[in-house]
Amino acid sequence: MLEISHLNVWYGVTEVLRDVSFQVPSNGIVALLGGNGSGKTTILNALSGLVPPRAGSVKFEGREMAGWAPDRMVKAGIVQVPQGREVFSQMTVEENLELGAATRPGGRQIQADIDEIYSLFPRLKEKRTKRAGSLSGGEQQQVAIGRALMARPRLLLMDEPSVGLAPIIVEAMIETLVGLHARGLTMLIVEQNVGVAAAVAEDAHVLKDGAIAYSGRAKELINNPEVLASYLGR
Amino acid sequence: MEAGGAGRRRQQVSQMEMFSYLIAAGLTTGALYALVALGLVVVFKATQVVNFAHGEMFMFGGFFAYSFHAMLGVPYVLSLFMAVACAFAIGIVTDRIAFRPLMRSQTLVSVLLAMVGLSFIFKGIARSAWGSSGHHIAFPPLISPEPIMFLGLMVMSQELVVMGAAVVVMVAFALFFKLTRAGKFMQATANNPKAATLVGIRVDRVYMYTFGVGAAVAGAAAVLMAPITLLSPDIGFVLFVKGFAAAVLGGLTSIPGAIAGGIVLGLLEKMAAGYIHTGLEEVSAFVVIMFAMVFLPTGLFGLRGVRRV
Repeated sequence: MLEISHLNVWYGVTEVLRDVSFQVPSNGIVALLGGNGSGKTTILNALSGLVPPRAGSVKFEGREMAGWAPDRMVKAGIVQVPQGREVFSQMTVEENLELGAATRPGGRQIQADIDEIYSLFPRLKEKRTKRAGSLSGGEQQQVAIGRALMARPRLLLMDEPSVGLAPIIVEAMIETLVGLHARGLTMLIVEQNVGVAAAVAEDAHVLKDGAIAYSGRAKELINNPEVLASYLGR
Repeated sequence: MEAGGAGRRRQQVSQMEMFSYLIAAGLTTGALYALVALGLVVVFKATQVVNFAHGEMFMFGGFFAYSFHAMLGVPYVLSLFMAVACAFAIGIVTDRIAFRPLMRSQTLVSVLLAMVGLSFIFKGIARSAWGSSGHHIAFPPLISPEPIMFLGLMVMSQELVVMGAAVVVMVAFALFFKLTRAGKFMQATANNPKAATLVGIRVDRVYMYTFGVGAAVAGAAAVLMAPITLLSPDIGFVLFVKGFAAAVLGGLTSIPGAIAGGIVLGLLEKMAAGYIHTGLEEVSAFVVIMFAMVFLPTGLFGLRGVRRV
């Protein structure tokens, strides 16, 4: 479904991604692991159109999309749930969800989709008129995921979904992700928490200094002492 | 004795008349300052930039209305809409010339300097477009300039019309933000530009329309104010200072704050001019800016958030 080949990204004079190639199969979940500054988030940002690649190819469902603007990426079905949730804190939960459908024409279907999000996250329905900034971290994560789903994505990019959440909330979130996967959603997840990556992902790639250092099955990778010691600092 | 009593009563009546006159005049100009402040606030909230050419949007609004109404004979209400549309277009030009190309270089100072430069260019254009008669043009009065009694206050009927229309513009502005998709996109972009980009909102386009909407409200204020004042190419800076004072008093990022700030400033100006000295009318705005900076750094409503000017 997604095919990244020889991707290079530079920030000014610094090369932050070097010759990155990997694939995300349709209905698969792939995790990107690695320490701070290894380039994980940059891959997601390149896929969201926030940073233009200098070289390489990004093919999604057969279409070349490298360098597309963010709105075109969303319209094509690639939607990111950013690190730190990034909800519209001063707007209500329902407005946040409505804004998730910004690239779709307005209409009755949007309200039907909001109701579906409420059935997935009943807590959000109770708090639909509350400002998103007043919600707990776990609830804000639900808003962020719900908002992304409102764009009807085919590939969901999740950037560090477990950061800053209590273990019990992380477990609930893993359940949500597994449930979304069961509904046919394809995901690319950036995680520092190898436990979360192992719980949800099938394949994983370990990044170091902007390049892929190790690739394999997620469960095998996180039990590999060499990978843990060399690349994940464990 | 009787003559003395009647004199006192006459004095009391005239004091009451003067007070009511000052209140009505203060509310009217305050409502217009509020509109100017609204435009500044909406642009600042979205872009973190104070539009130093905002006063010129106001000035253009007034001159366009003058051209349509007084020179071409277009009915007042229609010329109001036409002038607002022209001001909207000038706001968009401001974005394209002074904001978008310079924001890419990420230096706020160059954007601010470009805005200041643009305000001078706009002033020059107004001078050449409206010629030597561009100095203090009188706009034809809307209705009879005779004063009437309203709710126990002596007011100019024209002031009532202006005040009512200013409220209508404010309500339309609020409804635009609350109910329309474009308004929601603007709120979302002001709240969190990164998240707005990630949901697929074209943030640069939102900035452009924000400049347009800000200018349109300033243009509406100018068309409403024109019949009760004189137009000149230099009027923009004066109105910018008043709008900025009202916006600062309201906290610079608060829309209700901008409205309250405008009304307070309008009343203060008229009271100071009426009871202390007429010269104070022009300096009141500066006093308000200084007072707000020192004693109310987060504005009248004590809103959270950092202020970056």
